[in-house]
Amino acid sequence: MSSQFTPMLDGLTRQRGVRAALVASEQDGIVVDSSIQVGQSGDRVAALAASLYRKARLSARAAHLGAVSFMQLEAPNGRVCAVGAGPLVLIVVAHATANVGLIRVEMLRAATELPALAGGGAA
Amino acid sequence: MADDVSRLSDELARDPASLVFVPLGEALRRQGQLDLAQRVAVRGLERHPHLAEGHDLLARIAADRGELQRAFDEWDMVLRLADGHVGALRGMGFICFQQGRLIEAEQYLSAAAAAAPADEGIGQALANVRAQMSPTSEVEQVPAADVSHDARFLFADVLSDTDQTALLLDRDGLVLGGAYLDLDGNDVAQEVGAELSGVTDAARRTTRHLALGDWSSIVFETEVAVVAMAPSPDDGLLVLATSRATPLGLVRRLLDRCGERAARWLGERAA
Repeated sequence: MSSQFTPMLDGLTRQRGVRAALVASEQDGIVVDSSIQVGQSGDRVAALAASLYRKARLSARAAHLGAVSFMQLEAPNGRVCAVGAGPLVLIVVAHATANVGLIRVEMLRAATELPALAGGGAA
Repeated sequence: MADDVSRLSDELARDPASLVFVPLGEALRRQGQLDLAQRVAVRGLERHPHLAEGHDLLARIAADRGELQRAFDEWDMVLRLADGHVGALRGMGFICFQQGRLIEAEQYLSAAAAAAPADEGIGQALANVRAQMSPTSEVEQVPAADVSHDARFLFADVLSDTDQTALLLDRDGLVLGGAYLDLDGNDVAQEVGAELSGVTDAARRTTRHLALGDWSSIVFETEVAVVAMAPSPDDGLLVLATSRATPLGLVRRLLDRCGERAARWLGERAA
């Protein structure tokens, strides 16, 4: 079954090196929709990544740095990227060799569509 | 606030020579629309080059961007145009504090406090500066070496620019070293640390779950800054904030250098 987020998530997972793309609630990390390769647990990834993003946003607010646009967690074998849009967070898990610049651009573009998509229903 | 912007924009459109560009620019600045706020301020100053409030606005926009030297220069201009301008004195005091120039910071903030004794923010900022100075309050006798022994200046000689700041947090988000001052001169390091409590654990669990290896950094971009974080000894967290103009490669190098400094400092304390 596809949702209003499916085309956007599929577009992200078609990027080279992207293993998973998810939309989750920032508040509780619950998955709204996902496009994930076999063998990964989207629920846990979403919960952890949304928590990290929320901490980043709240710390930026405490420091009066304005809104957080893009976040990435880096490790030797890959990275987790997150972009917020209102109550939702767009999360991408990618290989270390993925083009993070391109992923960043695509995620920021996709995030602009999230509020409108969130207002829609299942396809 | 959006209504204010709309109303002020209309007013400026009707009378481009109006001084309304100052509140309009300020409203845009508060909304985080810094590019637009700067355009409004610059255009206004083209018509009113000797308006102190216009330069004060431009200084605050520059400070929001992390361009502290430019902000300092603009506030210096404000003082030339309006001697004793409280906003300029406060802003210059904040920048001097950020740069570790405590004597000058104390002087600017003292002057600001004298001009606006009811301003609690200035009083708090002045208290913060004085708290970092010698307990004997012999301002002119405070040597630079004393500053280097203050944990809040742990990264002072590692950071290469005035718009950079770094914090070292323990596993609970409590501040071990470094400082984080907001634009009012208040040290918000503890507030930032509290919000970042648990980041190390969440990052470790994330990378472990995804079999990505040990996490090396978290970087996030905000409207005015780039913030980079890295794990530090004993499950601590190193936090570096720079202006958005700082190249990402330099951010990473600074983060590495701060990490080395933090590890050495923690080692010395443990010894």
